[in-house]
Amino acid sequence: MTHVLVPVRVLEGQSVSLGLMELLGTMDVTVLGYHVLPEQTPPDQARLQYEDRATEALEDIAEEFRQAGGAADYRLVFTADRAQTVDRVADEIDARAYVVTGATGTVDRLLVPLTGDVDADRILSFVADLVGGRDIGVTLFFAGEAEADGGRELLAEAAAVLRERGIDVRTDRRTDTGPFEGLIEAVAGHDAVVMGEKAPSLRSMLFGEEAERVAAESVGPVLVVRRAEPSTT
Amino acid sequence: METETQPTGEGTNIEGEAPVIESTVETDEASIVDEAELERTLGLSGGLAIGIGTMIGAGIFVFPGLAAGRAGPAAAASFAIGAVVALLVALPASELATAMPKSGGGYYYISRGLGALAGTVVGLSLWFGLVFATAFYLVGFGYYAVDTLTELGIVVGEEWVVPLALVVGAGFTVLNVTGTENAAKLQNGIVALLLSILGAFLLYGGLDAVGLVGDPSTPETFAPFGPFPVLTTAALVFTSYLGFAQVATVAGEMKRPGRNLPLAMIGSVLVVGVLYVLTVFVATSAFESARLETFGETAMVEVGRHYLGAAGAFAIVLGGLLATMSSANASILSTSRAIYAVSKDALVPRWASRINLRYGTPHVALGLAGGPILVLVATGQVELLAEIASFLHLVLYGLICVALIALRRDEPEWYDPDFRAPGYPVVPAVGAVASVGLIGFMRPASQLIGVAIMLVSAAWYRFYARDVKLKGAL
Repeated sequence: MTHVLVPVRVLEGQSVSLGLMELLGTMDVTVLGYHVLPEQTPPDQARLQYEDRATEALEDIAEEFRQAGGAADYRLVFTADRAQTVDRVADEIDARAYVVTGATGTVDRLLVPLTGDVDADRILSFVADLVGGRDIGVTLFFAGEAEADGGRELLAEAAAVLRERGIDVRTDRRTDTGPFEGLIEAVAGHDAVVMGEKAPSLRSMLFGEEAERVAAESVGPVLVVRRAEPSTT
Repeated sequence: METETQPTGEGTNIEGEAPVIESTVETDEASIVDEAELERTLGLSGGLAIGIGTMIGAGIFVFPGLAAGRAGPAAAASFAIGAVVALLVALPASELATAMPKSGGGYYYISRGLGALAGTVVGLSLWFGLVFATAFYLVGFGYYAVDTLTELGIVVGEEWVVPLALVVGAGFTVLNVTGTENAAKLQNGIVALLLSILGAFLLYGGLDAVGLVGDPSTPETFAPFGPFPVLTTAALVFTSYLGFAQVATVAGEMKRPGRNLPLAMIGSVLVVGVLYVLTVFVATSAFESARLETFGETAMVEVGRHYLGAAGAFAIVLGGLLATMSSANASILSTSRAIYAVSKDALVPRWASRINLRYGTPHVALGLAGGPILVLVATGQVELLAEIASFLHLVLYGLICVALIALRRDEPEWYDPDFRAPGYPVVPAVGAVASVGLIGFMRPASQLIGVAIMLVSAAWYRFYARDVKLKGAL
């Protein structure tokens, strides 16, 4: 089964919505309970004090995932660097995607942006596995200003790939907005976003990871399909 | 002697707390303890920044005037002697750190290699040693703060040194309790800035001193007071090298510890050792030792002015402010880690290492660092504070060398360091003798207070935790 990592700030009471658990029912889930520490606190000192509480909470979350129909285990990490921890654990379990949790009910339709420098084949095969024959529709999204961007062909080819797998596909191509703003406008009517991981850029350093911003703006969960090559830190 | 099975810690203190000893799997990226993972997030540059950042404040920005007054231009030799002793200890300490890459540093190796009594004496002495060192850095900061105000045209007297140091000391303690984001990145930046200020200054000053640019300077007798003051000065300025062992207190958080720990410890000693010797050479070339002494703690500002005018003075004042603050802050953090290490082993009450929920910081340990520091800052005794800090650290360093010899003579099964110190047994033996030897050159007052602190620590062990056994308990 395809492996997905679900990072959860376990000691701050962050939970996973039922809709997201059901969506991930076709996946092999690892819940990554993490706790971010300030630099003046040795991780082991925090572990001594909080491990039992954190483990208890993680067991509950993993059990809920199993009840929602998927396979789930958990890991607990005390860290001073969240991004490094998510990368390391995702590499170790060979996760195809990680999740930025968000509130959602039952998922009926996914929004899948294909704008920019992303590995479309990898995203589409993940989406097909995720839907897994369930009655979940997909909207493929592309924002580009000119015909020369090739958005029309890309969307048509991508839609054909998913239709072959029996998925109800719509396409949404916008030429009048930027990729991020257009995506946020398109989110209405969708329950979750599946997007590709982008290489770190100046933009992501200034404004934070794109997936985090999409999750914050759209309120719903975001599934980030990791790049093929192991990311270098 | 049991060597077949791995011995574990046993016994409880008078409150019934036992040492927390759990088997740990160490990887390059994380430690796995029980069911949890502890991410290693510090890289080599972070380790070097802790080492250099802790050391650089005192050696360059506080001592040159004091040392030149005592030893003349041979003060450069005093710093060189200090560097050699530090290196002789850094090699064995690196080996032990790669064998036991845990937070706690020197205390951890000694309690595991030599037992709980030696461990308690060292653990508590390290706490006080760091407290004395931090107080010393803060008083040094006070002098630079007064000079900064003077450079800005606000003339205040030296009676402002202690109040300013107290304010900053209290400020750091509060900042650390409430959680400073990105403190390590800031530390890296400060160290990089300092190194570039010093590099430019030393390059120009060095060229001038050897007579290539500027006016020819008058040579002075190298050791006007003979060889003995060179050694006593080495004992005083050894405080300038206390930072390398602080790298070991974050060993549990270092990525690729087998490679990065030795590089950070030995590298930081080499870097600051070279900088110190050059700085003192440049300083004593600018002025006669007697003049330098009259400038006191901030003599380097006058040296900067001598070579580069007002801009030079300003650069040094800025550097001194940053360096003494970075030394003080790094030491407060190390103190908190030292307290955590002895608390985890039930040698002091468990509550001393509690973390508060609101900020996620060890507020009790930080308070146990900050409180005594402020009391000592109030004394304003620069040289005494420095010597006692050196005394307590030198005892630790001597015992680190002894612990290495003890472990190597009869290597336990668990002992598998990635880095093996070259020159065994000569290097650790000479390191131990040199560490203890330097103590002999200190003033009687420093020696008395140092011994008293060790005796109180030993008495505390007899009273509080005499049943706790730690030898070989990993």
